[in-house]
Amino acid sequence: MPRYIAKRLGQSLLTVFLTLTTVFMLIRLAPGDPAYAMAGPLASTEDLARIRSDMGLDQSVFIQYLRYVQGLLHLDLGTSYSFQAPAFDVVLSRLPYTLTLSVAAILLTTVVSVPLGVWMARRADTRRELGANVVTIAGQSMPDFWTGLMLITLFAVLIPVFPPAGFTTWPSLVLPTVTIAILQIALISRMVRREMVGAFTSPYITVGRSRGVSERELIWRYSLRNSAIPVLTALGTRFASMLNGVVVVEVVFAWPGVGSLVVRALETRDYPLIQATVLVTSVLAILVQLLVDLCYPILDPRVRLGKGRAK
Amino acid sequence: MTTVIDAPEQPRPSAVTPRDVARAGATRRARDSRTKIWIGGFLALAVIVPVALARLLPLPSPDATNLAARRLPPLTEGHLFGTDQLGRDLLARVLFGGQVSLTIGVLAVVVSGLIGLTLGAVAGYRGGWTDTVVSRLLEAQLSLPLLMMLLLVVALFGPSIPVITFVIAIAQWPEIARLTRSLTLVEREKPYVAAAHVLGLRNTAILLRHVVPNIIKQVSLVVLLLLAQAVLLESALSYLGAGPQRPFATWGRIISDGQDYVTTSWWLVTLPGLVIATLVVGVNLFGDGLRDRDGGAKPKLLQRFSLRKKEI
Repeated sequence: MPRYIAKRLGQSLLTVFLTLTTVFMLIRLAPGDPAYAMAGPLASTEDLARIRSDMGLDQSVFIQYLRYVQGLLHLDLGTSYSFQAPAFDVVLSRLPYTLTLSVAAILLTTVVSVPLGVWMARRADTRRELGANVVTIAGQSMPDFWTGLMLITLFAVLIPVFPPAGFTTWPSLVLPTVTIAILQIALISRMVRREMVGAFTSPYITVGRSRGVSERELIWRYSLRNSAIPVLTALGTRFASMLNGVVVVEVVFAWPGVGSLVVRALETRDYPLIQATVLVTSVLAILVQLLVDLCYPILDPRVRLGKGRAK
Repeated sequence: MTTVIDAPEQPRPSAVTPRDVARAGATRRARDSRTKIWIGGFLALAVIVPVALARLLPLPSPDATNLAARRLPPLTEGHLFGTDQLGRDLLARVLFGGQVSLTIGVLAVVVSGLIGLTLGAVAGYRGGWTDTVVSRLLEAQLSLPLLMMLLLVVALFGPSIPVITFVIAIAQWPEIARLTRSLTLVEREKPYVAAAHVLGLRNTAILLRHVVPNIIKQVSLVVLLLLAQAVLLESALSYLGAGPQRPFATWGRIISDGQDYVTTSWWLVTLPGLVIATLVVGVNLFGDGLRDRDGGAKPKLLQRFSLRKKEI
């Protein structure tokens, strides 16, 4: 087990490093000058040159890259241009908000989608299931920024129950969480249904039924447990992608998390901040994936980590 | 000329009545898939046809501002969807913007389909190091913070139509590549491939003329679902200000323009969103129905390959 974790961490380190290098190169390849963006249109040529040398932009790309890697090893990701603070700290200060939102969303998703999926699987191919099926298709077809705006209109403007934006009190968590969860519930419940329908046809269910195991136990204890691994994988992937991907919902709700930070950093061409965000979020995403993988042997004793892939 | 054969009058030998047959899961699934295809196709066409014919419809220009007629509610004279904060006709904006959105969606799916089909088929057919490289690429892309990267590329290289199309295509090719690869892995072991080898066909010819035609149908079903996804992705990008500005603002942009007025002029956000949702629901239902209908032949693979909506 420790060997497996070490190997996985090693691979992940490589992935993170390659991602960061890609981002570094992309940024340098692109047109646009951060010195100009920072100094504004009225700056003189000398000012621009001074700002460039302050930021180390007058060096060759290769030297810049070496410096960047050197800083990376000390967790020094440079100073954010727009916040005038260490980029790493800026990202870390925003991280709790995104974490709160992602955790709330994934919890709501799990609590709703697993029972819904099981319900759909038990009534597979009936009229009511068709209804639920269509609802989930609709759920995954609505643009999430639009869903968010509609929820704001309904529950913050017309019926002012929840605050429309920002993060002031705990009720302001409700609308963004629901917005994210609608899409995820649609996707995960369809997946639970698919896995459960597959499990229902397996021989062990027939055997269990013939031995008089109750239907409830067959579903919740046997089928669900055997469908757990793919579902858990999907939930883990969703959660990991939420950590770096709730950009749209954060912008809609003016949520002070990492997502809205990214949009701002991109607008101002804040290179160190972009790089710090990519680093932090991809490391987090990889850790979540690793945790999910480590859960496999608990759910299914047949899985032995590190000895061939469990599929 | 049809012959009607009446059902025999004697009691049926089995307890299964026609009513039971009609209510059975398999019958219902077939019927439901037909319903889904029809409703989905209708919804999708209800958006696609007006968008495609926007130039022929008697609409005001989408860029003609009229400050005297600002934020008129829907169904006012001459403005079916009302007007926006600058007095532009909302329906015209939605339809002309939709041309750009749909063009990007279709182009992106074509590009990603070509990349995915080529790489997936080659990886599956040749195996070895080609397969290793392609599979690694697929895995690497899954662990990338996707929307962030897309935004980055668009922010850096400018929100032009080619850049956005390319970016969406890059986001989507793994779906098709993975499916094509697994289908090809199955297909290449079939006797007809061996027969083609014996007949002296080259690998390229076998792949292009025999393997690909056999898997293209299943791949094309997924392409349909990816189209829905591409439209959503494009609208998210343009909502965040990373969408094309010319020639017309696309759907996401129209919504983000209108969201400041959401308290007073609900239609500026609601109606464009409804148009997107109608189109995407339609395409998804249509694809779902087709998948259910063809699911019988090779159910496992396609059922497992559900549409993963990209993290947004």
